[in-house]
Amino acid sequence: MQTTRWRPCRSRAGWWPVTPDELRGLLRERVLLLDGGMGSLLMAAGLERGRAPEWWNLEHPDRVEAAHRGYVEAGSDIVHTNTFGASPPKLQAAGLGGRCREVNALAVTIARKACGTSTLVAGDVGPTGLLLPPVGQATVEELQEAFREQVGALDAAGADLISIETMYDLREALAAVEVARATGLPVLASMTFEARKRGFFTIMGDPLPTSLAALADAGADAVGCNCSVSSSVMVGMVSEAHRSVSAPISAQPNAGQPRITPAGLVYDVTPEEFARDLVAMVEAGACFVGGCCGTTPEHIRSARVALDAAVVR
Amino acid sequence: MAEASEVLAALTRAVLEGDDRTVVVLARLALEAGLAPLETIEQGLVPGIRRAGELWEEGEYFLPELVSSAQAMKAAMELLQPALAKHGGGRELGRVVIGTVHGDIHDIGKTLVGTLLAANGFSVSDEGADVPLERFVARARELDADLVCASALLTTTMAEQRELVGALRRAGLRARVMVGGAPASQEWAREIGAQGYADNAVAAVSVARRLVASDP
Repeated sequence: MQTTRWRPCRSRAGWWPVTPDELRGLLRERVLLLDGGMGSLLMAAGLERGRAPEWWNLEHPDRVEAAHRGYVEAGSDIVHTNTFGASPPKLQAAGLGGRCREVNALAVTIARKACGTSTLVAGDVGPTGLLLPPVGQATVEELQEAFREQVGALDAAGADLISIETMYDLREALAAVEVARATGLPVLASMTFEARKRGFFTIMGDPLPTSLAALADAGADAVGCNCSVSSSVMVGMVSEAHRSVSAPISAQPNAGQPRITPAGLVYDVTPEEFARDLVAMVEAGACFVGGCCGTTPEHIRSARVALDAAVVR
Repeated sequence: MAEASEVLAALTRAVLEGDDRTVVVLARLALEAGLAPLETIEQGLVPGIRRAGELWEEGEYFLPELVSSAQAMKAAMELLQPALAKHGGGRELGRVVIGTVHGDIHDIGKTLVGTLLAANGFSVSDEGADVPLERFVARARELDADLVCASALLTTTMAEQRELVGALRRAGLRARVMVGGAPASQEWAREIGAQGYADNAVAAVSVARRLVASDP
């Protein structure tokens, strides 16, 4: 069990560069605000449908940088590189086969440019899309090989930490953590759970408490949940995580479920509701909070204000 | 020799447990015992896969259990289908072309729907993921498909489902369209002119049955 940490979220003075150990210290003593969604911002900036967002690290670095800058200016302490789908198998499928090192290195450079010294850069690592038995035929070794290439590229390019996100199979998440740990950088490991009859589970049936405990045991510096659910549902997930693990907990909910309207895609959760839920998550034990699909710099700005105004206990 | 009812009950259980080896042994046993292939499918296999689907909807089963059940069902079908054809009872519910739309490489949901449709008696041509519109249209024409199923898991690719409805219409094909995937919805299906929407693989089977049964 951990005690609630609830400190002023940040000193806005530049804290980059940091050593991995200094950063581990920060992770343990402060509440840090992450960024929000990237895909929806890039679409708004003209990303064509069907085009992988990773292409824009090569084609439109300025627009990716502008998206990051939106979050930096909104008050994010950490932003994620535009590399969620930049593992070799995903890049292959996106028509970027053989360009893992280049795509990831560019993405770190772009994020760093937007961050200056006030904000840290998390190398974003998503699922490979390769599925383990019985659903697919991939092997853990194949997954590790893919992660090794991507994480190695993010590390070499100067990411401050590695953020593994949206994992739905504990075995794949553990493979990613093991590989990421080898870099020596702090590792945040987050999986995506849904509320089911008997609690919170991934689509593969991995339960939240034992999954997060396993990730912490494997050496992740922080563990948590992201995507799939809206901020109100994720408050409950954080409470359960808080009862199960002593590692710092992260939470990055969606801004609700997307709805199609004549005006386009709409997410229902307003910046105000989102900020209120993020504060509730911090009170429930999270110390790393941010947004996933549908969240914007407006959501993060609102969260920044709410977190800064929250009382120090 | 075991009673027919015992064999059928054991088949149901083996499908439910996703035990593909036992399922094949039992299916062979059923054939040797002289059980009609159709009866074996309808009273042995189908209750198992249906129950697995229910358990999934109830939150008791997860993807690995559901996929294992579907694979067990498929293994038994491969054994029973030739016998079914010999009995002249190869009841085919309809011809289906299924795939994930261009630009989208999400495979799980679509594969599951394809497997369940095949297990329930549809003839299914699974085109995989990242399928261009032209291939959907060409395959639908080639097979004289009753139904084209298109999955999209990204808000960036779901517009491709709309394109597909238009492309099939322009090609003058009779196939109905069913859409699915996280960002899709009944309202979305209505808006783009798709005849069907299902929010999970089990529901997709009943929607498919309804679509092929209704007059164009």
